[in-house]
Amino acid sequence: MRGRRWLILLVALSCAAAAFAARAQDAGRFEIRNAYVELVNGSWQLDVRLDLALAQAAQQAFQEGVPLTLSLEVEATVERRLLLDEDVVSMTREWQLAYDAIAERFVVTDRATGAHVSHATLAEALEALSRISGITIADTASLPEGQRFDMRVRATVEIGDLPAAVRMLLFWKSWSRTTEWYAWKVRP
Amino acid sequence: MIRRWLPFVVGIGIVVWLAALVMLAMTAEGPQRFGELYLGILLVNVTGVIALLVLIGGRLADFVRDWRRHVPGSRLRGRTLLMFGGLAIAPLLLVFAFSVTFLTRGIDSWFHAEVRQGLTDALGLSRAALDLRMREYLDRTSRMAARLDGLEGSSLYLALDEELRSSGAEELIVTSAGGQSIAYSRAGMLHALPAVPPEELLLQLRQGRPHVSLQPAQGGGYEVLAATPIRSGPGAQGYLLVATYPVPQRLSDLAGTVQQAYQQYGQLSFLREPLKATFVLTLSLVLLMALLAAMYGALYFSERLVRPVQDLIAGTRAVAKGDFDTRLLRPSHDEIGYLVTSFNDMTKKLARAREETERSQAAVEAERAALAVILARLTSGVISLEPDLRVRVANQAAGTILGVDFTDAAGRPLAEIAAGQPLLAELHEVLQRHVEARETEWREQVTLRTETGRREFVCACTALPGDAGAQGLVLVFDEVTQLLQAQRQAAWGEVARRLAHEIRNPLTPIQLSAERMRRKLMRGLGAPEAELLERSTHTIVQQVEAMKQMVAAFSEYAKAPEMHMSEFDLGALIRQVSDLYHAQDPRVAFGLSLDPKAAPLEADPGRIRQLLNNLLTNSLEALDGRENPVIMIETQRVGDQIALTVVDNGPGFQGGLLEQAFDPYVTSKPKGTGLGLAIVRRIVEEHGGQVEVDNAPQGGARVRMTLPAVAREARRAEARREKA
Repeated sequence: MRGRRWLILLVALSCAAAAFAARAQDAGRFEIRNAYVELVNGSWQLDVRLDLALAQAAQQAFQEGVPLTLSLEVEATVERRLLLDEDVVSMTREWQLAYDAIAERFVVTDRATGAHVSHATLAEALEALSRISGITIADTASLPEGQRFDMRVRATVEIGDLPAAVRMLLFWKSWSRTTEWYAWKVRP
Repeated sequence: MIRRWLPFVVGIGIVVWLAALVMLAMTAEGPQRFGELYLGILLVNVTGVIALLVLIGGRLADFVRDWRRHVPGSRLRGRTLLMFGGLAIAPLLLVFAFSVTFLTRGIDSWFHAEVRQGLTDALGLSRAALDLRMREYLDRTSRMAARLDGLEGSSLYLALDEELRSSGAEELIVTSAGGQSIAYSRAGMLHALPAVPPEELLLQLRQGRPHVSLQPAQGGGYEVLAATPIRSGPGAQGYLLVATYPVPQRLSDLAGTVQQAYQQYGQLSFLREPLKATFVLTLSLVLLMALLAAMYGALYFSERLVRPVQDLIAGTRAVAKGDFDTRLLRPSHDEIGYLVTSFNDMTKKLARAREETERSQAAVEAERAALAVILARLTSGVISLEPDLRVRVANQAAGTILGVDFTDAAGRPLAEIAAGQPLLAELHEVLQRHVEARETEWREQVTLRTETGRREFVCACTALPGDAGAQGLVLVFDEVTQLLQAQRQAAWGEVARRLAHEIRNPLTPIQLSAERMRRKLMRGLGAPEAELLERSTHTIVQQVEAMKQMVAAFSEYAKAPEMHMSEFDLGALIRQVSDLYHAQDPRVAFGLSLDPKAAPLEADPGRIRQLLNNLLTNSLEALDGRENPVIMIETQRVGDQIALTVVDNGPGFQGGLLEQAFDPYVTSKPKGTGLGLAIVRRIVEEHGGQVEVDNAPQGGARVRMTLPAVAREARRAEARREKA
């Protein structure tokens, strides 16, 4: 009798673990795979590679016509002696992925420039969105060549382009996911 | 303490809650802000709800405790709470139910199937319209590709320009199979580089299929991208013609509107359930807060409302207990305030009335105390009685005279107190007799007989005045036994003095005459006559001598000798005198019980010796002819008094002799002058003491005397005597 109880408990725990794993899988994978900066023609340019896989709920929302926004926060600080670190760079870039039902294409729009690229499939669009390259973050005037500084980036993907009022109403529902900070030191 | 800080805490809570609302508004700026702030928002709201719950719980606990303890006003507070709660909660629940139903149905109504179908149809229509265009543009592009077939170099460029103008395309590009640009023509922007064909387009063309697609334009709207191979171009793969056609502005705008509407509808449709849940959740939160606030408000206001009533109840109870200094704070200017003011006025008047009563009582008490002092200082006994002869009050002198303790006598019947008290019992009989005769005002000299003799009292009784007739009696009495005895003694003294004076003078001539007559006549008479003369004159002389002794005794009794006070050992004196009498009559046994503490006695030793002589002479005479005669002499120190008792086992005082034992010339002996005990009494009184006689329980006379150890009283008595 007692052994059966333990068995039931074990099964229940297994089910819970499986459900949790399925949910974790369902949540999709979203993280920064790697990032680096390089000096190109006198300006520091950032390349970021993301692992971006939409969760089922996000895919469903996307199919319904809800756009998806990817934002990238970039920060660069210079370490100083006896003083607080100097924030040299603090910027955010955003991209939007939306499905154009008329053109039946997936459009990635750079919100900074307004330029957009359309893709025939969602996979292509996500692949394009996960390869961020050539973002100018500073020039050598603010970050001279040979300067040692610390970089960190993190990305946030948010479902929907909701009005502020609606977003406030739905404050209890998490519509976004944010990666951990990806930080590295730039040493010439 | 907590109540004092409560407003500040509530104020801080409101500020924090407002800050939480601001934070909530800030979350709308972006998901990152929400991530940073939501914990704080949650914490503030949960803390607020918990704080509200704690406040409500505390007040509810107070209320329940008061209810269980039946605290005055708790029932009223319960009813008020129920009323407030009912009035607040019922409409809230009604509004909540109505709002939830209204909102959920309202939101559902946004998503009618017809709307979605309409949007889908509009989308399909737009696509159909654009498909026609796209097919036409593809045909146009295919025809252009046929015309460009075989052209190279500048002729290709010229032909492209010509085709651009004639086809209405926005851009024409000839690329290699790998997508490398060979030639291009663009309307308006010749300096711009040609766009690279998308990979998907190249892939499709490589497979030999023409490509046509609708592309969102960079500046908004749409454009059509059509591409087809130029079949006979040089090289293994040939060239590709990629043409971009603008969609007419009107059509592009309409398609954009349809696309935007479809997208927004989809977004809203996706948010349908979350929106409903959000509204319900928000409403529930608002309801919860409102309910909690209503409950707290109901508790708070019921307490506020009932508190003046509770204060009034507490005040009334305090007044009932006699606390007339209770004053209540006026809570408001309404009816309750008027009631509180009236209550305060009432307590003020009651307090004033009580003060006046207390003053009157104090005056009465003062009068009573003064009367008590007067009564206590009175040497006459005073007993105040109820009409049914219950003792109201008796002064100390009454107790002292009657030998009764009147300490707890108030309220008790006089007859009950008199039980076992012979003096009081006799007095009660006299009083009862007069009461039965309905005599309320009387005066009488009463003689009461006791074991120690007859005692004389002068009694006066009067009725106490009252509203409804007699309210009681006052009996005033004084013992005049000693006064009468003193008067009698003085009279006897005078008699003795006159007797001594009148009798002593003729006695000597009588004696001398008798002796002279015997001497003169003896020689001329015969033997029988001489013997008769001798016997007669002898008798005369002897009787005259006896009379002289009697006169001397009376003289001794009458005169007031000078006292010579000194301190001496009473015990030694008693032993000395008893030894002398024992030597005179060894048959009599003397039992002495002498208290060593009674040794120093300040008195006139000669007078005390005379006292002992008189007592022992009396006893010896009484014991004459008795078997086993015994005389017991006992001394004892009692406080500042020395008690001296002489007891014999003779016949004791016979008949009514006891009552007149101290009167002069009262004796049971044939030869006695009757002055022995009278002199004893006089000596004792000269020393400020007291003497009484009775018969001992085992038989025989007993004389008990008390003398002050220090002769203050004796000196005073002497002073009085000298003054007299």
